[in-house]
Amino acid sequence: MATQIPKELETQAESGQAVERRTVVQGIAAAVAATALPKFGVMTRSTALAAESGPVKIGFIEDYSGNLSVYGLQKLHAAQLAIKEINEGKTLKGGPVGAGGLGAEANFAGKPPTIGIEGTGLPVVNDGGPKDHKDVVFAEDEDVLIDSGDKGILGREVQLIAPDGQSNNALWQQLARRLIQQDKVDVLVAGFASAEREAIRPIVDRAKQLYFYTNQYEGGVADANTFCTGPVCEQQVIPGVSYMVEKFGPRGYTIAADYNFGQLTAAWTRAFAPLVGGEIIGEEFIPLSVSEFSTVIARIQQAKPDWVMTLLVGQNQHNYYPQAAAAGLRLPMVSTVNMAQGYEHRRFKPPSLAGMHNAIQYQMEVPTNRNRAFVKRWMAMFPNDQYIGEMAQNTYFTIHLYAKAVRLAGTTDQQQVKKALESGWTIEAPEGAVFLEPGTHHCAHYIRLAVCDENHNVSFPRSWPMIQAWWLQRLGVNLIRHPEYKQYVPDEDPYFAMFLKNKSKKT
Amino acid sequence: MDTLGLLASILYQFGTNAAFLLLAAIGLVVILGMMNIINLAHGELMMMGAYIATIVTHRGIPFPLAVLLAFLLVAMFGAALERVIIRRFYGHELGALVVTWGISLIMGQGTLLFFGPFMPSIGIPGGSFSLGAYSFATYWIVLIGVSAILIAALWWIYQNTRFGLMARATMQKAAMAEALGVNTDRVYMLTFALGSGLAGACGALLAPTVSISPLMGQQFVAPAFITVVVGGAANVLLGAIGSSLLLSAVKTPVGLLFGAFIGTVALLLTALIIIRLMPNGVSFYLQRFTERRVGA
Repeated sequence: MATQIPKELETQAESGQAVERRTVVQGIAAAVAATALPKFGVMTRSTALAAESGPVKIGFIEDYSGNLSVYGLQKLHAAQLAIKEINEGKTLKGGPVGAGGLGAEANFAGKPPTIGIEGTGLPVVNDGGPKDHKDVVFAEDEDVLIDSGDKGILGREVQLIAPDGQSNNALWQQLARRLIQQDKVDVLVAGFASAEREAIRPIVDRAKQLYFYTNQYEGGVADANTFCTGPVCEQQVIPGVSYMVEKFGPRGYTIAADYNFGQLTAAWTRAFAPLVGGEIIGEEFIPLSVSEFSTVIARIQQAKPDWVMTLLVGQNQHNYYPQAAAAGLRLPMVSTVNMAQGYEHRRFKPPSLAGMHNAIQYQMEVPTNRNRAFVKRWMAMFPNDQYIGEMAQNTYFTIHLYAKAVRLAGTTDQQQVKKALESGWTIEAPEGAVFLEPGTHHCAHYIRLAVCDENHNVSFPRSWPMIQAWWLQRLGVNLIRHPEYKQYVPDEDPYFAMFLKNKSKKT
Repeated sequence: MDTLGLLASILYQFGTNAAFLLLAAIGLVVILGMMNIINLAHGELMMMGAYIATIVTHRGIPFPLAVLLAFLLVAMFGAALERVIIRRFYGHELGALVVTWGISLIMGQGTLLFFGPFMPSIGIPGGSFSLGAYSFATYWIVLIGVSAILIAALWWIYQNTRFGLMARATMQKAAMAEALGVNTDRVYMLTFALGSGLAGACGALLAPTVSISPLMGQQFVAPAFITVVVGGAANVLLGAIGSSLLLSAVKTPVGLLFGAFIGTVALLLTALIIIRLMPNGVSFYLQRFTERRVGA
């Protein structure tokens, strides 16, 4: 798959770094263009000039200090692990399977289901396991890391440029500009909080920079330059809430961090709870600075819900869990962020997180061989790390996905790589198969319901092997045919208002 | 039964809100209120206390002893800090502000480097009990009592001991106190150490209720400064009690009726109005009120 750069060009390119980059680059531009051209048609002179010399530069901004460092350090280590593997000639399984979902390279249904032993007359391959067990049948990989046949990307070493965002949005903008304009990175992978993403997205768009946002978030970003590889509300809120309604009862109470993530996720919860027979009886938005929760706890006790949706962000708000447990508030909880990202179940003494449910796409405990192999590789490189969270895994497979897309494009030219990424990729991540939907630049994920028990052990009683990020598709977003650069919010979708109206009619 | 529960719940929230403000502020009461040093490293001193208490409790030392240890170690750290850095900035309020901010950055990021982004917290001691639909944490009830004891002890030290007398003299007129034979240099050091130690002890007391991380101190800084500034300088201890009770009396009912967000807004608005209308703080009026009564 990889387009090889001729040996002499490689050495030229290396010396070009030391001498004068531009002249050498001009010298090799034609030859490089010749190798890259057949794949993707017309390539302009300027794009050929920008690429193909020296190391492949991955620009990476996360918070290694400040309020969000608990997440940023995990993501940095994920990037370092992925880049080490790429430079050692490794890649994750998977490839473009075309729009339409999982194809030949995914691993579901390795064994056919065992229906029809009695009565139906259908031929049965084997009896594959006890029939009373209802589950998805799939062959489990030992590991998904395989040889790529390419040291680095297209024979070029991969380099990580990773300045510290310090949990400071103004600094994020400055760093994004520096990475794009001075370092001229081939790809930008950055962003934890939605506020950080929205702070740098205009800069990304002005430069037409290829940009990956790897975090779980509230959804709605339709941006031709941005690829969102984390899960969004429709993939987490609906499965989580439907489980809570089924198991504990219809009445939910939401407490959420008071900024765009919390507000929008709460709006999703409010609008979609009625679809699965539930109802949100109370809602409270809590400023990020609040760290003492006795009033919030009393209000929940007053409302007497069946379960609580907790969308709490940052270390101040995490204090809610021990405080609620100490105050004797033992309601089942559901979340889209807690546990999978900030590993509260490891940080707080049991039973603070007892009864926490989260429809996650990844967390360290996912009980598959491929994940155990991934955790082992990680811990070999970073033996002191405490946890591997959801967005760390996303960062890891995203960088591998980028490497694969460059090999397909045969060039690091950003416009060509974007086109290559829009070929309907399935990549075998530690969580399971991930499908990058070309039109919306969002991923379908393997979703599992994680439940935390009294002793803070995690189990996964239910799984949804493939949930699409369908909301942007519903809105008719197709970034290939109609490039856009905005974030949609639920208010723009009349269906949200319709659901809410139905609910008020019923009650 | 449920009205009784609700009543108890409101009282409990009022108490915990006031105790939280008071515990966040006690160390600063001494350092800002008495020494007039705008100590932006206050949160980090509390963080240090919380780390000490958490580490030694994990090693099996009983929690009350851990709090005491946090007091002593942070007080010693405070004394060293005063000798090396702070004493060069007496009388330079802005200089002290910048240097303590620098200290807070070094402490916060240094802790991040040494201990990583998080440390497993210690469980909240004691259980819970319920009344009607409401349940309460025993530990917070204890904290309400402890915060009252701490402020009373501080009051006693400053009113009834020789050190308290010398300290008050030094804070009022350092030159005169020195002329009368008070070793003001030593008083400054001890006062700063006491304030640091109290911050450390309060950080340790609050440690079980919060997540233990390098920047955890930040959450206490704003409540601490609001409490001390609203309290005013006329009588810092009386002011801290008055302002924490007053702010909690605003925050609790508003928060209960309209949620945490409006509750916080109400607290800040109250602080704003008080500082605007009573620039000398609550204590000035409280003291005038008590003096008048004594005079009459």
